Amino acid sequence: MTQPILQINHLQKRFGTFTALHDITFTVNAGEVFGFIGPNGAGKSTTIRTLLGVIRASGGSATIFGHDVWRDRVTIHQRLAYVPGDVTLWPNLTGGEIIDLLLRLNGVAHSARTDRLITRFALDPTKKARTYSKGNRQKVALIAAFSQPADFYIFDEPTAGLDPLNEKYFQEAVLALKQQGKAVLLSSHILSEVERMCDRIAIIRDDTIIETGTLADMRHLTRTQITITTQTPVDPAALPGIHEARVGHQVNEWQFAVEADQLPGVLAALARHQIVALTSTPPTLEDLFLHYYGKE
Amino acid sequence: MGPFTQTGQLTRLALRRDWWRLLLWGVSLVGLMMAVAAKFATIYGTPAEIAGITQALKTPAIVALFGPFRLGTHATTAQVFANEMLLFMALIQVVMSISLGIHATRHEEDTGITELLRAHAIGSLAPLQAAVIELTLINLSIGILDALGLSLAGLPGATWLGNWVIGLGLAASGWVFGMLALLSAQLADHATSATGLAYALFGLSYLVRMLTDVQAPRYTWLSPLGWVEKLAPYQQPRLLPLILFGGLGLLCLGSASVWAQCRDLGAGILTIRAGRATAARALRGPITLLWRQEYRVIMGWVLGITVLGAAYGAVFDTIGDILKTNPTMQQVFGTNALHAANHQLILTYSSTIALVLTAVASIPGLQLIFKLYHDDLSGWLDALYARPVSRQRLLLGYTGSAVTTSCLVFLGGWSGLVLVGNFSLTHAADGLTWSEFLTGVAGSVPVMALLLGLGALVVGAWPQGRLVVWGYLAYAFISQYLGNLLQLPHWAKSLGVFDWLPTVPDHAINWVTVSWELGLAISCGLIGLGSYVRRNLQSHGSQAFHLIFTI
Repeated sequence: MTQPILQINHLQKRFGTFTALHDITFTVNAGEVFGFIGPNGAGKSTTIRTLLGVIRASGGSATIFGHDVWRDRVTIHQRLAYVPGDVTLWPNLTGGEIIDLLLRLNGVAHSARTDRLITRFALDPTKKARTYSKGNRQKVALIAAFSQPADFYIFDEPTAGLDPLNEKYFQEAVLALKQQGKAVLLSSHILSEVERMCDRIAIIRDDTIIETGTLADMRHLTRTQITITTQTPVDPAALPGIHEARVGHQVNEWQFAVEADQLPGVLAALARHQIVALTSTPPTLEDLFLHYYGKE
Repeated sequence: MGPFTQTGQLTRLALRRDWWRLLLWGVSLVGLMMAVAAKFATIYGTPAEIAGITQALKTPAIVALFGPFRLGTHATTAQVFANEMLLFMALIQVVMSISLGIHATRHEEDTGITELLRAHAIGSLAPLQAAVIELTLINLSIGILDALGLSLAGLPGATWLGNWVIGLGLAASGWVFGMLALLSAQLADHATSATGLAYALFGLSYLVRMLTDVQAPRYTWLSPLGWVEKLAPYQQPRLLPLILFGGLGLLCLGSASVWAQCRDLGAGILTIRAGRATAARALRGPITLLWRQEYRVIMGWVLGITVLGAAYGAVFDTIGDILKTNPTMQQVFGTNALHAANHQLILTYSSTIALVLTAVASIPGLQLIFKLYHDDLSGWLDALYARPVSRQRLLLGYTGSAVTTSCLVFLGGWSGLVLVGNFSLTHAADGLTWSEFLTGVAGSVPVMALLLGLGALVVGAWPQGRLVVWGYLAYAFISQYLGNLLQLPHWAKSLGVFDWLPTVPDHAINWVTVSWELGLAISCGLIGLGSYVRRNLQSHGSQAFHLIFTI
């Protein structure tokens, strides 16, 4: 599979003089779960709407399965499944009716798999959508998406509103899709979820993609938290690449953050003072997130 | 902390939320009233001019539409004005009150705003109370402006007391149906069914009013809309109707408050049953989905207008009897000529009703087309956008359903009229023939097609222009409906789409006009489709207008 499923190149979107997307570039490959994260209002949903052909890009290009997302939207949508972040359902239809309708729109029938998903997610399909809570509306959309055979799945904050058990079922279902070689674009605010499930990540901020890569790649860009105890006194604050150095609770204990590329030099310098104990914590996605978002 | 805590704050919020609607309704209603009054002063200023119209106003057809003529031979301009215009103005004000009342209560509840508010320290009746104050303020303001405007217009024969009876009477009639809408909002389980319930009651009181006016005016007191006619502002101003309005309004309000306090938020008396676990075989695309959602509303329209048509038809025998207004006819002409004259009367009356039915039937059609825009913004179409459903299919599906709905509604009313009308006649031969029935249909369809084509154009290219289409429908209808009474100049009438074909079935169909009207309607629809396929969705389409020119 050399051809990426989704390919976005310098995508731009302007509404009049207002720029909604400035510069979006990333690709999603088959067999990959791709995380799409960024603060509220950064442009995640606008990007997804453009990908669905709901709004038209002002510049750049975006293709899914090699087709233009605007011109060939109907062709693309035959092999695509989507779960919006804020699921709005027809209030006077039942959940069961909506699931069936959504499947039929793709030419698929209600299957044993659909029934399994309804049981799994514990949805009462006989209730009118008007009476559903946010989590239940979300389940209707998820059940319809998972029981539809597609090659590319887009989830826009799919687990907001789900309870932890259903969140777990969601994650299992996505990993199963990955094993079948499907491509998944997952926009989420739940960073532990992204960290656990995604092979690669793009971070969007101020309508621009500012970082793309694996979590391991990104870790190199930030600092590792170190707690160290040495035999002889040392002042690590003077070393290059050290930040936020604090004296620890024990004698000769220090806590500090070190830039990834300075780590070997720092450890070598500290080793001369005979290291007694050392713990290093790699940055979590949350650290990365705060690092990028907090940056002015 | 009583049940009304924070009503003031909520009222201010309601006025801010609705100020544009309120302003628009107020300006239109008062403006129409004053324009008509000014026109009356010029065209029916002298007794001779009034005598010229009196004969026409006494015909049962006009009585069925505008109310009975109860004036003596020396009627003044002001009396004729009040006699012909009061009911019409009251009808529009009732529509305003129902729409504002449901919007302020049940609609807010459906969107979850009421729940958000109720979590704060507000009284349990405060949202309802705020709606009551809003409805009272708008109706009263319009009434006061009407009264002041009438004083300004200075119709010959107008009195100070009469002007204020009209103003307050219209305010009270609008208000009472507003209170009825608030009660419906408590009884039904969501905004659509609440609107349906309120209109069903409104329709019922219109039917009672019409039937009793034509056949037994004493019983008009049974209908709240009939009370408007009993005000008699410039002859013997009555205050009893005002008291009745007040009493009925308070009764509705009281019941609404009781229900509001004992029911669950978001629920009505009509409780929700468990529905289907799987979809019916037929539910498989955007069009069937639309019908699945809307069939109750559509059936409600068809049923309602069929009853209205039947009621208009029920008076055929009274209307198609020229001897009632002209007893010497039989001596002058033979029996054959008499029946021909009777047939002509029925034909003219039916043509006017056809105009009313066409205008009314266009309303649900336009609502369905505009629903495409509302569904887009409210997120209901989100799920469809990610599926292989083309925009052509969506727009054509909505437009096609709209055309079908309007045709069904028109056919319902028109067959109700002709069937019941012909059945009610003593001389069946006086009634409408099969070919006249079809001519009526052929004359109405292109008009509805044009209005719906305009709707499709607007929804595709310029969704903010929806109000323009509603305004145009209102103008076209009013200019035709009141055109003769107001002696409007030809150009003013010909701006409206109803004027492009001669009225049917009392005139023959001009197939050339029908063809180009249908052609124009289809072109409008196609331009709308072209823009819709190209524009951004889920936005207010500000740049969509430019896109029309870049196709």
